[in-house]
Amino acid sequence: MDFSKSSLAIKRWIYTSLILLFFIILIFGFIQLQVSNKDVYVLKSLNNSIRKSQLYAVRGLIFDSKGKIVVDNRPSFSLAIIPRVAKPYTIKDICNRFHLDYTKVKQELKKTFGFRPIVVARDISQESVIWLEENRLNLPGIINVIEPKRYYAPGVKSPHIFGYVGEVTQNEQKQNPEYEQGDLIGKKGLEKKYDMRLRGSKGVKFLTVDASGRELGKLDINRDIPPVHGNDLQLCLDYEQQAFAESLMTEINGALVAVDTKTGGILALVSKPDYDPRNLSGKISSDVWSQLLNNENHPLYDRALQNGYPPGSTFKMVPATAALQENIITPNWKASCPGYFRLGRKVIHCWNLKGHGTLNLTQAIKYSCNVYFLQLGLKIGLETWSKYSELYGFGRKTGIDLPGENKGLVPSVEYFDKRYGKNGWTKGNLANLAIGQGELLITPLQIAQYAMIIANKGTYYTPHLVKHFYDYKTQSFENYPIIEKRVNEISTEVYDVIRNGMKEVVEGGTGWLGKVPGIEMAGKTGTAENPHGEPHAWFMAFAPYDDPEIAISVIIENGGHGGATAAPIARKFLEKYFFGHLIPRVFAKPDSNTVEEKKDSLILPMDIINIQPLKIIPQKEIHNQ
Amino acid sequence: MKKSFSVKIDPFLFFLVLLLVTIGLFAVYSATQTQETEQFNLFNKQLFFAFLGLIVILFTAYIPFKVFEKIAIPFYFFSLLLLVFVYIFGTKGQGITRWLSFGSIKIQPAEIAKLATILMVAKYLSNKEVNINRLKNLGITLLIILTPFILIAKQPDLGTSLVFLALLIPILFWANLNWFTMFVIVAPIFTMILSFNFYAFLVWMLIISFILFISHRKTLILVVVFFFHILVGMVTPQLWGQLKPYQQKRISTFANPESDPKGAGYQIIQSKVAIGSGGIWGKGYMEGSQTQLRFLPAQHTDFIFSVIGEEKGLVGVIFTLIIFLLLLLYLLYLGSIVKSPFASLSIVGVTTVLLSHIVVNVGMTVGLAPVTGLPLPFISYGGSFLLSTLLMIAVINNFSVNRFEV
Repeated sequence: MDFSKSSLAIKRWIYTSLILLFFIILIFGFIQLQVSNKDVYVLKSLNNSIRKSQLYAVRGLIFDSKGKIVVDNRPSFSLAIIPRVAKPYTIKDICNRFHLDYTKVKQELKKTFGFRPIVVARDISQESVIWLEENRLNLPGIINVIEPKRYYAPGVKSPHIFGYVGEVTQNEQKQNPEYEQGDLIGKKGLEKKYDMRLRGSKGVKFLTVDASGRELGKLDINRDIPPVHGNDLQLCLDYEQQAFAESLMTEINGALVAVDTKTGGILALVSKPDYDPRNLSGKISSDVWSQLLNNENHPLYDRALQNGYPPGSTFKMVPATAALQENIITPNWKASCPGYFRLGRKVIHCWNLKGHGTLNLTQAIKYSCNVYFLQLGLKIGLETWSKYSELYGFGRKTGIDLPGENKGLVPSVEYFDKRYGKNGWTKGNLANLAIGQGELLITPLQIAQYAMIIANKGTYYTPHLVKHFYDYKTQSFENYPIIEKRVNEISTEVYDVIRNGMKEVVEGGTGWLGKVPGIEMAGKTGTAENPHGEPHAWFMAFAPYDDPEIAISVIIENGGHGGATAAPIARKFLEKYFFGHLIPRVFAKPDSNTVEEKKDSLILPMDIINIQPLKIIPQKEIHNQ
Repeated sequence: MKKSFSVKIDPFLFFLVLLLVTIGLFAVYSATQTQETEQFNLFNKQLFFAFLGLIVILFTAYIPFKVFEKIAIPFYFFSLLLLVFVYIFGTKGQGITRWLSFGSIKIQPAEIAKLATILMVAKYLSNKEVNINRLKNLGITLLIILTPFILIAKQPDLGTSLVFLALLIPILFWANLNWFTMFVIVAPIFTMILSFNFYAFLVWMLIISFILFISHRKTLILVVVFFFHILVGMVTPQLWGQLKPYQQKRISTFANPESDPKGAGYQIIQSKVAIGSGGIWGKGYMEGSQTQLRFLPAQHTDFIFSVIGEEKGLVGVIFTLIIFLLLLLYLLYLGSIVKSPFASLSIVGVTTVLLSHIVVNVGMTVGLAPVTGLPLPFISYGGSFLLSTLLMIAVINNFSVNRFEV
């Protein structure tokens, strides 16, 4: 080969230029990355090594009116997977151990990529936490995270007031963009109504992490944003009173609502049957859930404000008010009750088959005479009846601070025309409505509000559970706005007559078992026919008579006569409210209980002025059709 | 020249190599810092092999110059034998057979084959009887280089095998291959690349036709060359289909790493983020967040240069590259001044091997070259590789101190 010096020199320079070219290209590449695009890569590198970790705010506590904590938080352990780190077979193992659906978990993990832990099982047992910690090294990417869960003080139940919290669904996320995947939000009750207040605001913690997602420590405390504790709620009710009310309703299907007539504050709100809210805190087992859903008594349903019932005789003050206010009758207008009423070809019986004789309005209320009110109803007509029903707040929501309230149903002329055709409905429908039957649906809460209106002679307040909030951000209390409303269309004189009638009800009338000794009060019984068995028993009351402070409504589904079953419950509640204990009954046997009282209720009190026989078999209030 | 017991060393060569090895040790120390228990283990290993390599340089200098020429042939066949052994006794690593184990010592025969092939081809071409422009001699030269290439490509170790291909062209160039033959050998590479785009291929074929036309060779040769290119153009897309998916992925994601950020593109993206965020001055030694938090894959081996880029910035990068450049240019200088053609060709061979490693590895860290798994000479962690690189330097040092011998 030719190995002359000149040819070598040329080859050397050719090769040298080639090498130089390569190096220039390389250096150009570095300049582009490190000078031209430096900022982009600095940001990327920061994002790489810094994990923005969310700090969950403490959910606001719930206090009762006495300042006792009724709903609190406790830590619970959740199983979480870091998608980027966890190996498929590890995930499979974990799924087997915790009885999770592998394909579902995989789908869940696919939604995000990276180092953000995804919670796959909530509220795992203590043993599982220990097992996870022991096997930490063998389970890369599997961690347990501490999440708060609702804790209810011992003896606290009231699921229909508090509701429960659960993981946000995609639908809920769409409705409220503030919700993020995996958030725990209020699903029912106060938790739902005040979710935005209770949840507080999340904080952010910046952590340095390595490529495996391991947290190495805090980046810079000054950049962190601390979470803000959710608002605390203080309720208007004394939980002792509420718990007592719940105990009165044990093993009963029904509801009890007591309201402070001076503010509208709810003093008790019971719906039975209910469930233990602890079962829906943290992990909800599907067994418990399906049991609750499929239970024929519907424990998830809040009867106090979601269920409309026919109000029965408690409604009689509406036609009475209408007739007086419209000057259709005077308080002294009398009607005679022979025990039945003939309407066209139909005969409607009074609950007292022997008849009440001739009564005025006060007596008609006192003895809840159907025949009297049937006649009155025909006199006032449907239009006036509807108008006064609405004045008393029926057919619209009360505006209580709980979600899912039912507005009930007050039929109007238009409603009947639509339903039965222009001339398809008869006087029978109207007569029915006058005694609180027929197409009339009223919630127990509305009855309580109705009692409050009568008690205050027209003034009433929006019912509400919350007295005030404590805002941790401003560190101040914020009162729940008390909204005063007034029924101006009804004069004081009319209220006086109605109230007097209601006072008579408990003073030896049908509601005598509702009378609290030593307290002057007023009430009204109701026995609402329903196609499913025994009639529903109603009782409503307010007390004290002259300066009312509490109004109450009680319904017992299929409880029979209102005066017999509902009134004693209201009485006991009020005794506890006024005196802090029950007052022994002079009429009842020493070991009296509800069963005994049912027997007692067959006997009217001794001081009755009526000529009616002492022993009566309770009848259904009407014998329609 | 000097007869007595003096240190036989090329001071400039030794200084550059020492500098590079030192940079490498610092980089490996930083890159392995996070592997808590392993760090000193890995660093000490590297330190040990660095010392061993430097001692090898010092001792190799005393080997008589002629010996290398004499052992070239047996050494070459011995290395081929080792490559064959890999198939039979090889140790698997990540599904790929590249290693031979002797007790606790593992060697990578491909590393030895590099030097052996360089010496063999230099020995053959330096023979006075051999004229590269004769077809028979050219054929034998190709055979010498392509045999280890095929054996290594089959392992499969695409990166290392391509080094052998890269070796071919400068060696033939240095051995005065005529420009037409050179064209015939080099052109198919472009044909392969351009065959994926029909229009580029068409333009390229026009250029080939023109060059063939002005070459004034026998028509038969021209026709054969022309149709060979057509054939290559048609077969290459098919061959692409034959590549293993991970090899395809490596090459295609090199073009667009963002297309697969979790998989094949991850390494390139992380490396670019590391280097880019280093800026001009770097984040400081042992301060690189990408490195210290182990976002960089293979950061102490293939991606060691990203560590330098992140922690020392553009300044460190240019400094290191300049030392590499000085080394390569100095080697070329040596290649053009040594008396012996054998030494000259060997030096050019070593230069080419180092150059291809440097360009591919450094290019890979900035996304200018595909991820092929070629380590960076002197810097990357790996005892076998460091030692074999220093052995090449040792041989060149011997040639340098014996530069006037023939």
